[in-house]
Amino acid sequence: MSGEPIIRLRGLAKSYYRESLEIPVLQGIDLEIPAGGYYALMGPSGSGKTTLLNLIAGIDRPTGGELEVCGHTLNGLDDDELAAWRSTYVGFIFQNYNLVPVLTAFENVELPLLLTPMSRRARREKVEEALAHVGLTEWMEHYPRQLSGGQEQRVAVARAIVGDPELLVADEPTGALDHKNAEEIMALMEGLNRDLGKTIVMVTHDPKAAHHARHQIHLEKGVLDRTIEVNR
Amino acid sequence: MKYLRLVLRSFLRSKRRTVLTILSITVSVALIAILQSILATLNAFANNPDASNRIVVRHKVSITNLLPTRYADWLRQQPEVESVMGLQWFQGVYIDRSNFFPNFASEAEFVNTVFKEEIVEYSDAQFREFLRDRNGALVGKNLADKYGWKLGDVVSLKSELFPITVRLTIRCIFRSKRPADELALHFNYKLLEEGVSYMKGRVGTFFVRVHRADDVPKLIERIDRHFHDAVEPTYSETENAFQLEFLKMMGNYSAIIQMITGAVLVAILIVTANTMAMAIRERTTEISVLRAIGFRTSQILAMLMGEGILLSVLGGAGGLAIAWLLAGAVRGYVGTFLPYLQNFHIDAGTMSLCFHATLAVGTLSTFIPAYRAARRPIVDGLRSL
Repeated sequence: MSGEPIIRLRGLAKSYYRESLEIPVLQGIDLEIPAGGYYALMGPSGSGKTTLLNLIAGIDRPTGGELEVCGHTLNGLDDDELAAWRSTYVGFIFQNYNLVPVLTAFENVELPLLLTPMSRRARREKVEEALAHVGLTEWMEHYPRQLSGGQEQRVAVARAIVGDPELLVADEPTGALDHKNAEEIMALMEGLNRDLGKTIVMVTHDPKAAHHARHQIHLEKGVLDRTIEVNR
Repeated sequence: MKYLRLVLRSFLRSKRRTVLTILSITVSVALIAILQSILATLNAFANNPDASNRIVVRHKVSITNLLPTRYADWLRQQPEVESVMGLQWFQGVYIDRSNFFPNFASEAEFVNTVFKEEIVEYSDAQFREFLRDRNGALVGKNLADKYGWKLGDVVSLKSELFPITVRLTIRCIFRSKRPADELALHFNYKLLEEGVSYMKGRVGTFFVRVHRADDVPKLIERIDRHFHDAVEPTYSETENAFQLEFLKMMGNYSAIIQMITGAVLVAILIVTANTMAMAIRERTTEISVLRAIGFRTSQILAMLMGEGILLSVLGGAGGLAIAWLLAGAVRGYVGTFLPYLQNFHIDAGTMSLCFHATLAVGTLSTFIPAYRAARRPIVDGLRSL
């Protein structure tokens, strides 16, 4: 687990502007996360944890500092380069699953692979493998409306891992789930980290979910408060 | 191609909305296709290449004033002239006014040379019978078929212009190149002269056929100059110009049709834009998710544009199909009382116009909402859930 840093943040800052008023959200974040790490970002509402996750995932741009993830400095990439980078290195898991309702589970998982030059047969193999990993082989032809919340989130996890990215980012992945399903998703993510060596950065309010991570990073009013190693 | 499935699934996301929008485009495009085809048909009538070497000579004051039939003698002496025929619009009613068709009192012996391109196929024996019988009638095949007339049948026409009813015997049936030309009936001018005293030695128009179309302008000028100081001065023009004057009696139909077309196009643009704006707005989060997992802005834009264009092109294709089906009805019903529309059809130009118009509607209506959605910051889209 003590690999080279996969995420390096130096003086990272993010501000939003409302007319001429600057609203700082993150200030001077210095952080290194090693490859294979499992980190939970925690903190009260407005502390900047989701903003930090968005910056690490390359879906938002910092207003200051340096951001190096998976060996790429993201600051200088244009929109298309950033999109290509995300498709290669990052898998996303959202609180509300965010599956495309008109596509089957199989087709949802296949989406990231459409961006690759993979053949149809190769895509099928990869999708079936990912769905088997989350235990939904039998449900691949079902539409999201035909699945439970827990199953939808499993499909989302399969979609996140199908392209074999180095980094998984999860924003409140258990926020919309009951306790049982939340535990199953957490166990699944723990397995991805432990068995497949995926680096995971997860935003959560839930101390039980955070307990599954190996480290907890606490943010307070946009600054890094402390990093705790989780003892299990 | 691999994104096509995504486009098609999104396209059918709200089936009712999609179908209703396609139907609204279908109806609008059918209307545009019919109107534009009417315009093209009418314009073609006034741009008849077969009439390029024919001149119509009428009284300078108006079409209702008559010219002496002796003018034909001078006209026939002109070296450019191939044939001359006096022709009078008879406006005869067959049974009742709903049975409208063009009918003329013509100088029978010249009708097949002056209208060589219109009276194309006929039996010489039948034509001789037509010339022999003072009450004979020469009718187009379409017209004969429409009323079930056969050779030897007697047809009565009551004129709305002259105090006379003529009883005609069908003596010759001809075929033409254009269906509209087969709706005409000609009978011997002498019958009109005998029945209406003030028509003796007088006629409404002369149709003059010249050997070479290039000679038309100078002959027109010479005819009108020659009769300039006569008691009945003439006004000569090409047959196409003459037809155009009749069409103009319907008002500035071209401007009216173009205005309606423009209004319908704006309406379908608004309907499609509204549909696409709704369809895209309700997918804000989904679009942001696609972008988060690596879809480029241009790919998102292309998929959304594909949906909009598919919507409008399907509507356009449906509209053209309906217009094509309606074309037969227009020929059969409207063409009966407006013979200009006997040649009505949806031509390639109109189809091309409708196709490009629907492409433009699809592109214009989708581009702005699609561009905004594709360019929206990903985090804003994810937040809008």
